[in-house]
Amino acid sequence: MRTFLTGLMRLRRGPWEMLATIIIALGVFMLMQPFVLWAFTYSFITTLVGTVMFIVVSHFPEGE
Amino acid sequence: MSAYSVTEPSTRSKWFAGSLVILYALITMIPLAWIMLTGFKSPSDAISYPPKVVFEPTLEGYVNLFTTRTRQTQEFLDANPPQNWADEIVREYDMVIVGPSKFGERFLNSVIIGFGSTFLSVFLGTLAAYAFSRFKIPLADDLLFFILSTRMMPPIAVAIPIFLMYRNLGLSDTHLGMILLYTAVNISLAVWLLKGFIDEIPREYEEAALIDGYTRFQAFYKVVLPQAATGIASTAIFCLIFAWNEYAFAVLLTSATAQTAPPFIPTIIGVGGLDWPAVAAGATIFLLPVMIFTILLRKHLLRGITFGAVRK
Amino acid sequence: MTDTIANRAAKATPQRVARKIKGLSDRAIAWIFVAPTIFLLLAINIFPLIWTIQLSFTNYRANRLNREPEFIGLRNYERILTDSDIWLNMQATAHFLFWTIALQVLIGFTLAWLINKKFKGNDLWTTIIVLPMMLSPAVVGNFWKFLYQPQIGLFNYIVAFFTGKDPSSFEMLGSVQLAPWSIVIVDTWMWTPFVMLICLAGLRSIPDYIYEAAEVDRASKLRQFFTITIPMVLPFLMLAVLFRGIENFKMFDLVVQLTGGGPGSTTELTSINLKREAFEKWRTGYASAYAIILFVTVFGLASIYVKALNKVKER
Repeated sequence: MRTFLTGLMRLRRGPWEMLATIIIALGVFMLMQPFVLWAFTYSFITTLVGTVMFIVVSHFPEGE
Repeated sequence: MSAYSVTEPSTRSKWFAGSLVILYALITMIPLAWIMLTGFKSPSDAISYPPKVVFEPTLEGYVNLFTTRTRQTQEFLDANPPQNWADEIVREYDMVIVGPSKFGERFLNSVIIGFGSTFLSVFLGTLAAYAFSRFKIPLADDLLFFILSTRMMPPIAVAIPIFLMYRNLGLSDTHLGMILLYTAVNISLAVWLLKGFIDEIPREYEEAALIDGYTRFQAFYKVVLPQAATGIASTAIFCLIFAWNEYAFAVLLTSATAQTAPPFIPTIIGVGGLDWPAVAAGATIFLLPVMIFTILLRKHLLRGITFGAVRK
Repeated sequence: MTDTIANRAAKATPQRVARKIKGLSDRAIAWIFVAPTIFLLLAINIFPLIWTIQLSFTNYRANRLNREPEFIGLRNYERILTDSDIWLNMQATAHFLFWTIALQVLIGFTLAWLINKKFKGNDLWTTIIVLPMMLSPAVVGNFWKFLYQPQIGLFNYIVAFFTGKDPSSFEMLGSVQLAPWSIVIVDTWMWTPFVMLICLAGLRSIPDYIYEAAEVDRASKLRQFFTITIPMVLPFLMLAVLFRGIENFKMFDLVVQLTGGGPGSTTELTSINLKREAFEKWRTGYASAYAIILFVTVFGLASIYVKALNKVKER
């Protein structure tokens, strides 16, 4: 957890990619979950943010 | 025998595993076997209850698949005796053969579009894969990801603008349009697979050729291509199978001249509903080449499937 | 004679210069080789994609050529994402995704594990198991429709034979309860071999010495399975799951032939729903927004897939 946070602070690729992956997964889950309609409504913007973020952060340098 | 190996399963567990796998394989084959059997049934045998495993084989399904027929009066039938075996089969239903059906044409379309797009995607894919494998291309990783991701697009989503674009360019329902479209879909897989194969060829071969005075292009043509031949062949088989099996684009973008077999086979209608033996005959003719291919070329194909999904 | 002036000149000059004289530079060749592919993808993938994005902000209808499309901003997106019917289509897709992946992983992994026992003739039987996934999904779906017919279909007959039910008492494709399962069964039949092959690649990538070391440490077979086999195959399994997830999220051909989305809209997966909007109702602008939503989802999953791929590659 510590290394994850310092990785985020130093703009390292690994932890940021992990974060983007979690956001994408959350968006996909919100899109198809059968529980609440508002989650479906905001699923697209969540996935979009996650995906754009993934493209950006995959150009960050690798962590040491 | 040298030493006892701990990783080698015992004879008993091998026997157990083997019989379970064979059982699964046999169950999985039932639907395919049923397709082929149904092709040789008469329409009444095909829909009998209980389903018939033993029946009198007939080529009716195949005759119905390849011909169009009309019903005739008894006088006409008496005046014109049947000319061949196919005619005789149709006579039982008081019909005569009036011409070929569309199936032959559709099958030929599948062949033309399949081979055309395979040739193009392997040709272009080999060039691109070689460049990605051997040269430093700016943003290579992004380009490769972009190429891969184009294959992952949902076909229906792509079909909307393609439909509009082809309508404006006059490419809808043409062989050229379908060949270009399937090439665009296949090329990503081709580049991806072929890059893997070319990466495995040692660079030293070309470097030796370059020192011998070959140009880069000659080195590619005379040294790399022969080395990559197996890889190119198995890539070609994958492209061919994709184009052969494709349905979504075909059903949305073609209707007559360039329609392939997959959208056509389900529409074969006989007297009083679907003519199941004819549908089964069509399916058999269409699926059999792929099955034979798969069994004959299993080594390359199975390697290619895992290679395509697992390697980068 | 081959000893032309050009050849002699080439031989006399140093390597680097010689190459420049006789052929194109590496840089030029790289671009010539890559350009056609990029051009084709730009023309047939990227340009249409940009066009779709543009259309998704309009109320364009492709069957009305003389009417100018109007710009309506984010209205299409708003309508789709608050539509509870489309939400239901998404849930139908989720049901299909969840169960096909669960069954395929379970059966596929078991088969791979059994095949890895290297019994005699295993490669031939593997090939036979793989056959269904090589076939045309539309033709296969059409034929399964025949197997699923009540009364005359083979599937109903076999189920009836083992359960003692009347084969005409249930309709796999016609009933609201059974139809979602009928598509799961066919997809599992067709694509389990794919998961199996990927798992097999995973199992075969585990070097023998790890097991040998575990044997020296007197770890039980069960423990070896959970501490060596499962963790080592897991990255491969992740790949298979993501790949099948993406493919089944886009599922169209097999299901459209089997059920056409019915009965009602119980098996109307998103792609079938999208096809209705785009090519039956001709709401092109609206369907474009829908397509973009599906595309972004697939693209997001594809990014995760490539990340997982890199992880496997590092091994």
